[in-house]
Amino acid sequence: MIVPDTLQGAVVLSVIDFALSIVMIAGIGVVLALLPLLNRIGRLDDDNLRNH
Amino acid sequence: MLDQLAAFVAALAAQTGIAHLWWGNLVMIALGIAMIWLAVVKKFEPLLLVGIGFSCIVANVPGSNLILEGGLFHYAYQGVELLILPPLIFFGVGAMTDFGPMIANPKLVVLGAAAHLGIFVALIGAKLAGFSICEAGAIGIIGGADGPMAIFMAVKLAPHLLAPISVAAYSYMALMPLIQPPVMKLLTTRRERLIRMPQMRPVSRVERIGFPIIIAIIVNLLLPPVAPLITMLMLGNLYRETLVTERLARTAANGVMNVVIVMLTVAIGSTMAADRFLTVQTLEVVGLGLVAFVFGTGSGVLGAKIMNLFLKEPINPLLGSAGIASVPIAARVTHMVALADDPDNFLIYHAMGPNLAGVFGTALSGGIMLALLLPS
Repeated sequence: MIVPDTLQGAVVLSVIDFALSIVMIAGIGVVLALLPLLNRIGRLDDDNLRNH
Repeated sequence: MLDQLAAFVAALAAQTGIAHLWWGNLVMIALGIAMIWLAVVKKFEPLLLVGIGFSCIVANVPGSNLILEGGLFHYAYQGVELLILPPLIFFGVGAMTDFGPMIANPKLVVLGAAAHLGIFVALIGAKLAGFSICEAGAIGIIGGADGPMAIFMAVKLAPHLLAPISVAAYSYMALMPLIQPPVMKLLTTRRERLIRMPQMRPVSRVERIGFPIIIAIIVNLLLPPVAPLITMLMLGNLYRETLVTERLARTAANGVMNVVIVMLTVAIGSTMAADRFLTVQTLEVVGLGLVAFVFGTGSGVLGAKIMNLFLKEPINPLLGSAGIASVPIAARVTHMVALADDPDNFLIYHAMGPNLAGVFGTALSGGIMLALLLPS
């Protein structure tokens, strides 16, 4: 176990986890913001897909 | 003759469960009945509480074979213990979920992490209460309000606490319409609650198909410990969004989901035997779960208010409370609280964005926790 089984360990784990979660989810937000770039590939027609 | 008859009746009674019945069983049977009452009369998460309540009752009738090895409830529990059912739940959820609101408004995604401060408050609280750090981590995840994730983490970090953790997680999810609104109102002004959100952009089919593929790659790359859950969520969503696998998407969202819910609820309820459940630890877990939900709701609202300090167009801070992962209950609560102040302020679609991001937020918190507590 990297984190010691103490109160200090719990605090350190919480701080690292919360900060990393925010950074990583912000990263997912960036990926989502870039997702419209996929529209340059082309367009898919919903009706055509349903009637394959 | 009478002596013989009494001995015969006594021997017969010893063969039944009656001889082993104690007050703890009666308390748990009453709890099971209360759960079914809440589901039927109050309509609190009936799909979950009916099964959990019923199997809780059966598990507390001494002599019941269903929870012993060879019984169906026992094998349902194997599905939880071997971590088969939680990913399958995510599979069904993925097939049922429209991630459009999350894709259309990426800036709200951060609220999915902001609303998880409760996880860490409960984690530290559990450590202060004397739990080991692994147990504390499993208890803290209740604050994510994500049932399958709470089960997943409990099995990984503290399997002996599976019953109280899953019961606390699902019970509080059902009670969110009662827990969240007072916190939301306390931390916002009426003026803030009246803020309306602009129309969202439409999301193309290409984006909808690209999203699950890209997220599956990222999560498997960065967070292997929780990849089984998110990968199945994304597979279910891919079936839904391609439109060429509608049959599979329907099966995942209906047939598979229904079977898994039956197995999961029966498995959870069957772990609620009085001798294991009626402990001080259970009360502590349930209490810490409530703390986690309250702090999670509060931190989400405050997170949205902090975002407003930097945004040109302010967002409605009630959206922050939807960052708790319970889909779609938290989004519905946000919508209802906003409607109470302005009957024309429809926030449900906007709230789904942070609500879905909350699923990822909980998974990220859990994945980081597993990586730090159980390094491979």
